[in-house]
Order: sequence, then C-alpha cells, then structure tokens
Amino acid sequence: MSLQSPLAKALGHGSSKAGPEHWLVQRSTAIALAPLGLWFIYAMVTLEHGSYEIVTAWVAEPMNAILLILLVMVYAYHSMLGLQVIIEDYVRGGLGYLTLLACQFIHLMLATAGIYAVIVTALGAGQ
Amino acid sequence: MAQFALPPNSRVKKGKTYEAPADAKNVRRFEIYRYDPDSGENPRMDKYDIDLADCGPMILDAMIKIKSEIDPTLTFRRSCREGICGSCAMSIDGTNTLACTLAIEDVKGDVSIYPLPHMSVVKDLVPDMTHFYAQYASIKPWLQTRTPAPPDSERLQSKEEQELINTPSACILCACCSTSCPSYWWNSDRFLGASALLAVYRWLVDSRDDATGDRLDELDDPFRLYRCHTIMNCTYACPKDLNPAKAIAEIKKMLVERRL
Repeated sequence: MSLQSPLAKALGHGSSKAGPEHWLVQRSTAIALAPLGLWFIYAMVTLEHGSYEIVTAWVAEPMNAILLILLVMVYAYHSMLGLQVIIEDYVRGGLGYLTLLACQFIHLMLATAGIYAVIVTALGAGQ
Repeated sequence: MAQFALPPNSRVKKGKTYEAPADAKNVRRFEIYRYDPDSGENPRMDKYDIDLADCGPMILDAMIKIKSEIDPTLTFRRSCREGICGSCAMSIDGTNTLACTLAIEDVKGDVSIYPLPHMSVVKDLVPDMTHFYAQYASIKPWLQTRTPAPPDSERLQSKEEQELINTPSACILCACCSTSCPSYWWNSDRFLGASALLAVYRWLVDSRDDATGDRLDELDDPFRLYRCHTIMNCTYACPKDLNPAKAIAEIKKMLVERRL
C-alpha cells in the first residue's frame, strides 16, 4: 500500500535525458545494414559453389575483408540495441539489469569472434 | 518480468444468461464483463439477449436498456452519448472505442464488451483512471509562457499556427488509444502513453507556448517517450480519428533535430 500521490507516481524519478541516441543509432545502423546486407547476400550467392580456396581468397580481398568486419560490427550493434529494447519492455528490476548485461556481453563476444575470424581468414589465406 | 497471464482472482468465469422475451423479433446477444470487488468473486461474462426491434441504434443504447430493464447492477460510465465526453470508452468487439458512437449494426455477431484493457477495474466496465489522469497532469497541459500577454487583446496566432493545434486539441481523453497499446500495458508506470504524448505534442506545436525546450527535456527518456514502438493501435483505436502515432513520431523527430 502506498499513499504517494498519483502525480508523484506518474513523475517517477524524472526524465533520464537519454533516449534519442539509442533511437537514432538503431535507425542509422538499420540504414547501413541495407546495402551491407544486400552486398553480403549477393556475395554468398555468387560464392555458393566456390571451393574453400576460392572463398578464403575472396575474404582476403582488402575491400571484402573491410566490408565483412563492418558488417559484423554493425550487425552486432544493431542486434544489441534491438534486443535491449525487448529486454527493457519485458524484464523488470534486478533480473532486467542482469539480462541487459548478458545481452551486451554476448553481442560483444560475437562481434569480437566475427572480426577475429575475418582477420584470421584474410591473413591466413594462401598460406 | 512482465505479467502475461491474469492473476487467479482476475480470471474470467462463465456468467448468467438473460434471455430475450418470447416475442422478440431481432435478437442480438451482448456478452458483458462483470466484476464486483465487494462480492469477492472472480469476474464473469454475463450474456444478455436483446431485441433490437425495441432498442436504440448504438451500443450504449443497448447497455442503457440492459441497465434499466434487465439488470440494474450493470455498471458503466456514460454522459454525453455523442462522443465528446469520453466516458463510455470500453473494449467492444475487440477494439477500444466509445459505446455511444459505435452502431450495433456495425458489429457482426455477438457483441462482446470488456472494460479498457490492462487497467485496474473498479467495477464491471469502470476502470481506475487515476494514473492515466496523473500522467496527463504530469505533462503540464497548459500554456507556459514568459512572454507577457498583450495588454489589450488575446495572444494571437496565424491561421496556419492555429491549424497545427486544431486536430490534436480535439482529444477527449477517453484513453482508448493509450490502453490499446501493448507497450502501455507492460510499462504504463513509466511510459506516458499515446494520449498524454498527443497532449504534449499539442503544446509543443503551439506557437504561443514558450516551454518547448522544457517539454522536450521532460520527454528525453527511454521510457516516457521511446517505449512507443510504432505499433499504431492508438491511431486505429481513436474514436475521434486523431493520429497519436504521428504526433509521437513528430516528437521523436523534434528531439533528434535539436541535437543534430
């Protein structure tokens, strides 16, 4: 039971002065993913029947490696922002903070692993 | 976690059936949510068979007929019966709307009537609007200005400036929009909801208001404003054909504009 006034409840802890960044970055990463994603799908289709050597040689092309790393980073960031919203929507309190932390950690891990894989493949190709 | 299932004392049971008189010509069934906190019983769905040949054309007419002729315990809010007071907002046939402006013939089959979704129910179709009104009050829905008023006239607006506030100020605060929003269902403690945000927008675009920056500061928050995920149930539900979803999108644009 609480005798707090309805207005005090509605005002809560006030405005956190943060929100537009998340909204803006989620949209800008979405825009970036449109050409990057199309490029990646196109590349995968053309490489569909390529041998291991052909694919690694493709990754070793500097422009391809750079675009792949960009794709991994932007995808991971965009996915993290999206999942963050879902967690904020549905998971409350301490469990919410933990889930958010886990979400960020997993995305950072995935992004790092992806970038590492591209670099190793690009530098290791032809050896 | 968000609560997805109703608590045991809120689960809806089968209720009574009130049959139409034997000489009824055009019978339509109304299934209405009933809940009386004093009884200690769970909510139930009562069924009323109404002879439309002996009833007004609107849903509210049928409800008033039920209350005055069949079951006086049926509780609901209503006042103007012409869509301007917003009292008879409820969920009819799955959509939040006003019982007074929805014609019975526009609903196919049995007419199901529930209170506005995800609000505490005071009794039957009467939801507790305290928090909804407090949220409206929290956005300071009045003119804030540092410019002194002209000594001999009202504060003037151009025709174009007036047109900006014309539509959003037609909101009747019935809460159909806010309570149709899943985001409001899960997070109404912090998310302002479509109605309050439409109200802020009305003051944000008012050329006479000097508090635009302060108002935007108050909305600069992941929950107050950004829990809106453009679901657009608000615009679909609005019985006054207003567009809260567009107003919210405009507010988001204003917040971005002032930092780019």
